[in-house]
Amino acid sequence: MNGILNWILWMPIIGMVAVLLVPKAKENVIRFVTLASTTITLILSIVLYMNFDNSTADMQFVVKIPWIESFHINYYLGLDGITMLMTFLNALLFFICTLSSWTVEKNLKAYFALLLMLQSTVFGVFFSLDFFLFYVYWEVMLIPMFFLIGIWGGENREYAAVKFFLYTFFGSIFMLVGIVALYYATGKGPDSFSILAHQGGKFVNETVSIFGNEISFEKLFFWFMFLGFAIKVPVFPFHTWLPHAHVQAPTAVSVILAGVLLKMGTYGFLRIAFPIFPAAAVEYSTLIAVLGLISVIYGAFCAMAQDDVKKLIAYSSVSHMGFVMLGISAMTTQGVSGAVLQMFNHGTSTAMMFLLIGIIYERSHHRWIVKPDGSLGYGGLSTKLPKFTTVFIIGMFASMGLPGLSGFISEALIFLGIYQRFTTITVIAVVGLLLGAAYLLWMFKRMFFGPVNPECEEYEDMNAREIFYMIPLCICVIVFGIFPSPLLNVMKASVGQLVDLLAKF
Amino acid sequence: MIQQLLGFLSYYIPEVMLVVLMTSLLVAEASVKDEHGNRDKIYAYALGFLGLTLIPLFQNSGKAPVHVFFNAVTIDQFSTLVKIIMVIGTMGSILLSRTSKDIYTNLKSEFVILAVGVLIGGMLLASANNMLTMYLGIEILSILSYVMATLKRDESTSAEAGLKYILYGGLTAGIALFGMSHIYGALGSIQFVDVVDKVGSLQGIQLYIVMASFVLFFAGLGYKISAFPFHMWSPDVYQGAPIPVTTFFSIVPKLAGIAALIRVSMVFFTNNTILMNSWVGLILVVAAMTMTVGNVTAIGQNSVKRMLAFSSIGHVGLMILGVAVLNEAGIRAIIFYGIVYMFMTFCAFYITSYLNDQYGTDNYDVFRGLIYKNPLMALIMVGTLLSLAGIPPFSGFVAKFNIFNIVIEKKYYGIAIVAAINSVISLYYYVRLAKVIIFGKADSNEEVVGFTRFNQTVILALFVPVVLLGIFWDKVFTLAGSAAIFIK
Repeated sequence: MNGILNWILWMPIIGMVAVLLVPKAKENVIRFVTLASTTITLILSIVLYMNFDNSTADMQFVVKIPWIESFHINYYLGLDGITMLMTFLNALLFFICTLSSWTVEKNLKAYFALLLMLQSTVFGVFFSLDFFLFYVYWEVMLIPMFFLIGIWGGENREYAAVKFFLYTFFGSIFMLVGIVALYYATGKGPDSFSILAHQGGKFVNETVSIFGNEISFEKLFFWFMFLGFAIKVPVFPFHTWLPHAHVQAPTAVSVILAGVLLKMGTYGFLRIAFPIFPAAAVEYSTLIAVLGLISVIYGAFCAMAQDDVKKLIAYSSVSHMGFVMLGISAMTTQGVSGAVLQMFNHGTSTAMMFLLIGIIYERSHHRWIVKPDGSLGYGGLSTKLPKFTTVFIIGMFASMGLPGLSGFISEALIFLGIYQRFTTITVIAVVGLLLGAAYLLWMFKRMFFGPVNPECEEYEDMNAREIFYMIPLCICVIVFGIFPSPLLNVMKASVGQLVDLLAKF
Repeated sequence: MIQQLLGFLSYYIPEVMLVVLMTSLLVAEASVKDEHGNRDKIYAYALGFLGLTLIPLFQNSGKAPVHVFFNAVTIDQFSTLVKIIMVIGTMGSILLSRTSKDIYTNLKSEFVILAVGVLIGGMLLASANNMLTMYLGIEILSILSYVMATLKRDESTSAEAGLKYILYGGLTAGIALFGMSHIYGALGSIQFVDVVDKVGSLQGIQLYIVMASFVLFFAGLGYKISAFPFHMWSPDVYQGAPIPVTTFFSIVPKLAGIAALIRVSMVFFTNNTILMNSWVGLILVVAAMTMTVGNVTAIGQNSVKRMLAFSSIGHVGLMILGVAVLNEAGIRAIIFYGIVYMFMTFCAFYITSYLNDQYGTDNYDVFRGLIYKNPLMALIMVGTLLSLAGIPPFSGFVAKFNIFNIVIEKKYYGIAIVAAINSVISLYYYVRLAKVIIFGKADSNEEVVGFTRFNQTVILALFVPVVLLGIFWDKVFTLAGSAAIFIK
């Protein structure tokens, strides 16, 4: 079993090479090769889940091979409970995205090759236990994203792609400074690039001097790391790249972006920023909670103001990721578990929303709830497209946090967790839930109820392929809403370890 | 005496070979009929000969360091590695000039002869062990460079470039000489072997004299590497000169200048704390300004050649951080950076040169939609640009990572942040070009013609190190780490 992480990590690359070898004209072969690759990855990740040991917080399936010996850099992979969920999510969403991208017309071969490359780099970020390797994957991920948004995106795609690239790079270059500083702070030893070796608050008493001022090492580099991850999440006020990237990106890329890429940011907090700088994390947790709160409320208000349905969902992502930030800033078992669960559940429910918008966009070629001239873009879809409406209702209510669907459990856990630390913030954050219900229901009313818009008369309902790839997500959303323990058990030990560590500071 | 000199010469075989090559090229150029086939023979001869000089160089590598010619020249691992890079750099530029219209079609073999001459100067500069040799190196390098800058004889921009170069060069060389004379006055010696001891015992006013005169001395070297505030000439010269010359300029003279700068820094500043601190402060400011000025100015450029010229100023800013730390790790980082930067420059200029010859301009527009016209060219160009910006898995990232390493090891966090912000700025203009290449719509969809199998092989061969050194860099890095400077 030990090499399974290697297989999961490199399977997409094998698929990518295979895609590149297929002649351009054989489009169906390209599609099926990609599908085969993502299917194998999905199966492997299920096998991984079967073999995962819930009882320990240690890294499992560890692979460690020396890479750059002069710097003690290793090709070092491992998996714990939090990563396990993200791995499954990543494998699942890419499988679904392959199916949803079936109709891509422009330069299919390059599209699928880049998509597979993206999948591998995302796995790389989640598996890496070596800082250098982590950084390499974190950055390489930008390259396929840049091209995917820039080539297959909407009208304003170039601007969105460049903005995304620059914004993320800005955050990560500061992270690089932090990584190198950690390397020297631990004395260039054999473990100096190991993420795990730095954990546990080893830098509490160290100081650095900048222009003659003594500053705490821990606080300074906590903020460096914070910048890198907060831009990725994105936390207010670093969220401005997100609406552009989401709106311009093609459907599958939006799904991936909201589904897994944003989670890399919160994953960074859980794996790197908090365990390595626990004292600073505890000290600034109020500030992080406030930023999370602003994201929740501000994101919700922004979503409410949108006329473009994709932009609405993009802002709702800001709002939902704010809940994740609230959960991790609680630093209690319920809060962090809720946050990790929310990372997974937001991945599935937002993926549904983006996929559904993609489906309706293929029919209408616009995304307006209200067109710029004031007339409704859709209307009465519920009578014309019953299947579509059913799936949409499931996705929307999951996203809203209706009891019985997945979003509810994670949000409830987050509130349970955070109430123990920040009562006022909890009370205000609940308003965010209310706002979430408001903008989603209002959108639903304008799109699905009322008289049938003449433009919508001709729309076809979801076809078999579309229903097929929505089913796994519907199952996830419903089953984990009623029965979340498979997810909670997996992460329990890892979350417990993190919370115990933070409790010491 | 004769035997002693012959003994010295045994360390000096590469330089002697180059002198032989240059002379024989001159004779061949004058005596061989200028026909197409013959020109290729001359090119092949020059390339082969340059390749041969690598053999004694690699033999010198790893040997115990010595001072030869009565302490005038030093042969140590550092200078040997720099020379190897410079020889490869020259070979690459000559190879590049083979496809350039400006050089190959419009001229005879002048470029090859001059390049070899500059290389000789660069080698002298890299292993100069007293101020006189160093000045000699600078002058050989410069005077031949002036001629190279004007190789596009019919164009006024080329003439302007040459004139600007010569005026700036003459001025700074004079200032440098002035500084050297003061150092000689204060220390009583021009030999680095003696200087390194005498610096340690300097007191009071002498310190200030040496420091002030060193700043003047720095003008000479700073101009060669186009460090702020001596960088003004380089964009005009880079733009005016034919592209192979530009490529050559951004590799060989620059590397030689940085090599000399490291050597004098190690000689003058490792033995005296007061001098060292003020020098480090100065060089950090120079590095920060060089980076920022280079990168910020590059944003607004519309000519790719000019953009690359400004960006090379930015890269020099990073490289001289390796000088500021004054230790082995800094030297290692610079050598590695030099190797990587050389390959990136080749790739970027090779493609720019090709398109420039094809369309007669090197504007961004020429690159528009290149991905549809010639995918290989476009992908390599984009890869190179990302590498220049320091995005993994390309080697430019590793080079930048090493610079961050040495700076943070010394705890210069301020300059690390400046370098980080500069990385973002540089990414902006590199991505701007990448955007034009990949996302742009070309005016016409006709393929770029004439990018032959030969060209494709060359560009691929040049691009392979750009990728490989970003993933498997341990070996090369260890080799760079062996580059020790021998002072005494």
